[in-house]
Amino acid sequence: MHTTTKIALFSATALALFGAAAISDPLPPDLTYRPLPSLPFSKVKQTDEAQKPAVMDRQHALLGDRYDLSDRTIADVAMSGGRKGVQAGVRVKTAPGGEWDELASLTPQQIRDRNLLPLGFLPLPHVKQATGGQVFPEKQIGEIGRDEGRDLRRFDVDFDLPDHLTPEFPPPIFLTTHPELGDVSRGDLLTIRNFYEYMNGIVTPVQMEGLRLLLTPFPQEEFNQTEDRKVAAQSTGVACLDCHSNFHTNAAFHLTPDVRPQAERFRLDTTSLRGMFNQQIHGSKRSLRSIEDFTEFEQRTAYFNGDHVSATRKGVNLPDRPNQVAMMAQMQNIIDFPPAPKLDSAGRLDPAKATDRELAGEKVFMGKGRCAECHNPTQSFMDNAMHDLKLERFYKVGQTFNDQVAIPDGPIKTFTLRGIKDSPPYLHDGRLLTLEDTVEFFNLVLQTKLTRQEKDDLLAYLLTL
Amino acid sequence: MMRLWIVAFGLAVMPSLAAAQIGNPAGLAPDTRFKAPGVPEANQTNYQDRLFAQLMTAGGLAEVDLGKLAVSKTDHQGIRAYAQQMIDSHGKANKALGSIAEKSRMPVPAEPGEDQKMARSHIDGLKGREFDLAYLANQVVEHQKAASLLAWEIGSGEDAALQRFAMETLPTVLEHLQMARDLTAELTLQAQAAK
Repeated sequence: MHTTTKIALFSATALALFGAAAISDPLPPDLTYRPLPSLPFSKVKQTDEAQKPAVMDRQHALLGDRYDLSDRTIADVAMSGGRKGVQAGVRVKTAPGGEWDELASLTPQQIRDRNLLPLGFLPLPHVKQATGGQVFPEKQIGEIGRDEGRDLRRFDVDFDLPDHLTPEFPPPIFLTTHPELGDVSRGDLLTIRNFYEYMNGIVTPVQMEGLRLLLTPFPQEEFNQTEDRKVAAQSTGVACLDCHSNFHTNAAFHLTPDVRPQAERFRLDTTSLRGMFNQQIHGSKRSLRSIEDFTEFEQRTAYFNGDHVSATRKGVNLPDRPNQVAMMAQMQNIIDFPPAPKLDSAGRLDPAKATDRELAGEKVFMGKGRCAECHNPTQSFMDNAMHDLKLERFYKVGQTFNDQVAIPDGPIKTFTLRGIKDSPPYLHDGRLLTLEDTVEFFNLVLQTKLTRQEKDDLLAYLLTL
Repeated sequence: MMRLWIVAFGLAVMPSLAAAQIGNPAGLAPDTRFKAPGVPEANQTNYQDRLFAQLMTAGGLAEVDLGKLAVSKTDHQGIRAYAQQMIDSHGKANKALGSIAEKSRMPVPAEPGEDQKMARSHIDGLKGREFDLAYLANQVVEHQKAASLLAWEIGSGEDAALQRFAMETLPTVLEHLQMARDLTAELTLQAQAAK
């Protein structure tokens, strides 16, 4: 064929292809972007309030189906502030014929085909998935209301987990700059009204300014002045430390900003900021490489669901990188883990202080249990990487639970295990209620076939961290 | 009809299917009537429901149409079985969707969309392995889009029957997507090995 003819033919084919691409419609815009409300605020509020009892009943039914929610603590163990016990026992319920020992003997495919994966191992839906957004526990709402006169209560939903399954409140604060002081929280919640009194003398001017910013409310998707809000009165917004109470977590939850459509977004359990100084990647999906990046971008994500278009309308705050973000980051980087007196400087148990069971548990952790492959003791029990547990090997994807579509989690960052007894519920979405639940979860997912004794030893070890 | 359809799709009826969907009321149609406080009467639609019904119907018709083409043209046994499954599955889903659309008074298209017709004409012009690969590539994209649309309806729709349809259909669509991806992988590995 003549070259000119070939080029002409090629061009014609290319045109046809590009032409085809140009008339193919994209999917509707609100698969990605937040739609504007189609009803007036008063009407939405009235309907939301009317729906609330059914919303809460439905969520409590799901939780009751999946978990034993009773209040049973481990004897003689408390969280680091000494104000709350640590919940005991495996709380995820198994399906008939799928008890833990049977599950361990089956392949992922068999568990999937027989529908035997305990429902509590599936992604945990938001209390109202279709709306999503930040939901605060009662104690946080009460304390901020009393101290600041700011309303964190939503009219459409309440917090869904019982208080005894959440971290102690307010949690203690430990500083890397003052290990000799111990807890510097004075047993109170840091707020914009009290932080200066509590922290003057133990932080630097730069850290103090960072702390002030972390406690300052800014407009947020559900707490703002527009008709697209879920709080009764026009709101000045929320502060970073409304979720990360005292730089730890109060188990407030949200939906990931990193997934669309809405029904497929996974729940996010607030992460503790303890040990930030050793954490190299941030955000369960985003893998941001510095706490400065994360702090700056949270105004786009925790605050506005990763929708900068919606944010612009509601009044976004964009902190100045060198003068504000840096100070916020420096304050976060001095938050220490709680003391772990049985660990040496490399994160290993001191045999002179640890019990035989704890030492046996450490052996499981480092070996057969495969925990230390990601939770490296010398790196504050992290590996600064993301891993995909491929849980979808065990269940059929695309099923809907309370309006949430369960899709594979994909790679999620490794979270620290230091101070882990202080941070229930567990996993990025809080689907596991106790440390024993996490042991059963990873025993199944990693197919490690731990014995009863090894599981008990592992629990004893986790409590020392 | 719906019960038959579920059985045909081989889905276990999950407890969650019994629970009513509870959407964000900010997205309800302005003229929504309520049967109880906060609970819309059945067969009322918002714009998301209506657009979803349009797009899903067009996509479903295209699936059946392309499936028939593939059954008649392919020499690959796996692809023929897959295409036959598309004809059966999407044929039944189209009927179920049509029945809901009728009850909720949503007019739906009678034929595939323009871009789907163009894709069909492009695929129809190919033969042998080229045809197989183009059909599968189309199937991957169409099922990706369908999965997104179904999740959109689950989160944003108002018509509970239509949302239940979306919930029941989504796992099957994701299975189809996996099958199309597996067949593509099988074929492209063969092609590489033949070189």
